[in-house]
Amino acid sequence: MLWLCIQFPKLPLEALTRAHRKAGDDTPLAVTQSSLILEANAAASTHNVTAGLTIATACAYCPALELLERDSERESQLLQQLAQWGYSFTPVVSPRGSASQKSSSKNARSGEETDCLFLELSGSLKASGGLAPLLQQLRKELHKMRISHFMGLGHSPSAAHLLSQLPEHRQWLAETKAPPTPQQWRQWISFAPSKLLDCSNKAIAKLYACGIKRVSQLLAIPLSEVGNRFGRGFIDYLARLNGTRPDPVPSYEPPPEFHSELFFPSPLDNSEQLLFPAGRLVRELCRQLQRRQLYSQQLCWVLDYGSRGSREVKVEISRPLLDPQRLIALTKLQLERVELQEPVQALALKCQQLRALEAQSLREDFFDEGSKLHDSYQLIDKLKARLGHQALSGVTLKESYLPEQAWASADSLSLQSRQRGHQLNPVNAPRPSWLLPRPDRIQQRDHKLFYDGELQLLQGPERIDGYWWQHRRHARDYYIARGVQGSLYWVFQDLTSEDWYLHGVYG
Amino acid sequence: MHIQSTPFQKPVRSKPIVNSAENFMQNKQLSNQADSQPATQPLQQLLTRPDIWQLANRQRQPRTGIATGFRGLDALLANHGWPRGATSELLVDKGGIGELSLILPTLAEMTRQGRMVILINPPHIPYAPALVQAGVQLEKLLILHPRGQRDQLWAAEQSLQSGACGALVGWQTKETPADKDLRRLQVAAREGDCLHFHFRPGSCANTPSPAALRLQLKSDGEQLALQLLKQLNGKSGQRIHLARNPDLVRRDQPLH
Repeated sequence: MLWLCIQFPKLPLEALTRAHRKAGDDTPLAVTQSSLILEANAAASTHNVTAGLTIATACAYCPALELLERDSERESQLLQQLAQWGYSFTPVVSPRGSASQKSSSKNARSGEETDCLFLELSGSLKASGGLAPLLQQLRKELHKMRISHFMGLGHSPSAAHLLSQLPEHRQWLAETKAPPTPQQWRQWISFAPSKLLDCSNKAIAKLYACGIKRVSQLLAIPLSEVGNRFGRGFIDYLARLNGTRPDPVPSYEPPPEFHSELFFPSPLDNSEQLLFPAGRLVRELCRQLQRRQLYSQQLCWVLDYGSRGSREVKVEISRPLLDPQRLIALTKLQLERVELQEPVQALALKCQQLRALEAQSLREDFFDEGSKLHDSYQLIDKLKARLGHQALSGVTLKESYLPEQAWASADSLSLQSRQRGHQLNPVNAPRPSWLLPRPDRIQQRDHKLFYDGELQLLQGPERIDGYWWQHRRHARDYYIARGVQGSLYWVFQDLTSEDWYLHGVYG
Repeated sequence: MHIQSTPFQKPVRSKPIVNSAENFMQNKQLSNQADSQPATQPLQQLLTRPDIWQLANRQRQPRTGIATGFRGLDALLANHGWPRGATSELLVDKGGIGELSLILPTLAEMTRQGRMVILINPPHIPYAPALVQAGVQLEKLLILHPRGQRDQLWAAEQSLQSGACGALVGWQTKETPADKDLRRLQVAAREGDCLHFHFRPGSCANTPSPAALRLQLKSDGEQLALQLLKQLNGKSGQRIHLARNPDLVRRDQPLH
């Protein structure tokens, strides 16, 4: 077993400021919790604003300081996202949040507990070409997500957690090529100062009172003695640290949907400004989808107006698409049309149903008609995004004697699918290429018909009579007629009312 | 069916409207090549340009057009068919004179080849049974109803340049599109190698247009009368009469 512990010391701050455009933004920011500074950004730190100060002191040090209230919910959401990200490297992932931990166990040292993520790496070494490239990759992606972190490697989660706080170990980890031997681990653990042990402040004070400054000193004492002084839980912990006892952590299961949110400390009032954060979310989604071999048929953007409600914008995708550039382009088309009623405080991307990519759909791409079909899907997506779903339609045949029911508007999605089922054949009689949505009344004077001039009947009648079992009988005599300007019309006489109507045009 | 040649009122444009930047680029290329190659080479190159019309070599001209399905009309058109990747304007005042049956054979052929055909803002419902009778594969037919002229032009341009679309048929709305928009559509059609049919009212005949082919459609009472108003690389001014489907115009004995 090879456990990696990634700690996120600045998560409370990053959960709130991740949406910021620039990394080098130099407005001093600080996150507060119960009127104490919890975390400050780099700009604030240069003004000596550090964790643990009261708000009043901090503001005195740095008058321009912007204060943000800690948002535990957003923080745990971000941790879930990170777990999802970690899941793409290894199937054994376990997130540990600071917020939940504090309420559940009293052991935790308040305020100093950070969010962390445990990854079991032994199964992933081969796939990523060894430990060093894997760690490199992890670091690179975390850096891209602008999440500050430090890592520790151990044979159990507890050991990894302990070692991640040990500077010497971190330095070794930055240069290492191969996983350490068991002796090395034992050395590091015994070398670690005892204040790094994951137990209550009281226990640590007690250890120091006994003169136990390093873990090695603690391990030298017989376990029963230690148990007498520090309790059974502490012995358990030491055993897990040593690897003599299994160290279970709750395993993480990725949800069957994607949800990611960016919060803007200063709300945006222009839909163009949304494009940049939207691009970031889409890239996140695509990375996720590609790793889990899924695709989504719909992107659902939620523009959060804060207390004034929210607005949803949906982007439909007709075929599996994992290219972020295209998805961003489709999103852009939609967002351009959105008028913001209120400044947007947060932008979220949700994909409710993720479907598995099927080999079949991919095969079609490579060998079937290929790029032409692909192009037409792209075109349809684009048109749909800008014009709306209802502006696109197709036509199909329907089995009916009634002319107005012999066709149906088809969903444009079914356009490209080849139909294998039973083929309908149209009536073998001349039919007009244009049908009027509703029959137009023809003027009738002295046994003559007038529609833009006098009509001359050429052919007919073709009697269509049916549907007498429905509440209204349709009995009509159809004729082909010619107008004065040479246009050919399809007209009928309703046999029940004897009125004349224009129903189609031979275009 | 008979063909008459009548003099055309307006002087024929000897040079088509091409994007000036493009012209410049082409000229530059030509001059670059002239430096390096023998003197005969540039002339050959010049003659192969699609916008240079060689009257003397009419017989040798390649049949690059897309067959219209009407032999008489093919014979009149410069490339023996609809100009590929270009706009063809059809000026019609009154529907029902056979304006759609003029292009239906081409559209049907496009769908049979598996290319999409898009109709933008058709005046009525395209009636599926008639389209199937004409051989159109309905699953390749897409109908768009964009709202407003801006969306319509956008949709037309996107569809034309996508390369996925074999033919696009558009109907002019109440507003006349600006010359610059028509030119954009023409350029988009060339990029996407897409046939573009543009139905416009007959009153547009007097305003110049960048289209490669302009046809005026009228009815002489029985037949569809076509007049070539403009054609790139070819003569214009000819008229041709196309008979309607005999099934339609056959006259029955009146019943009463």
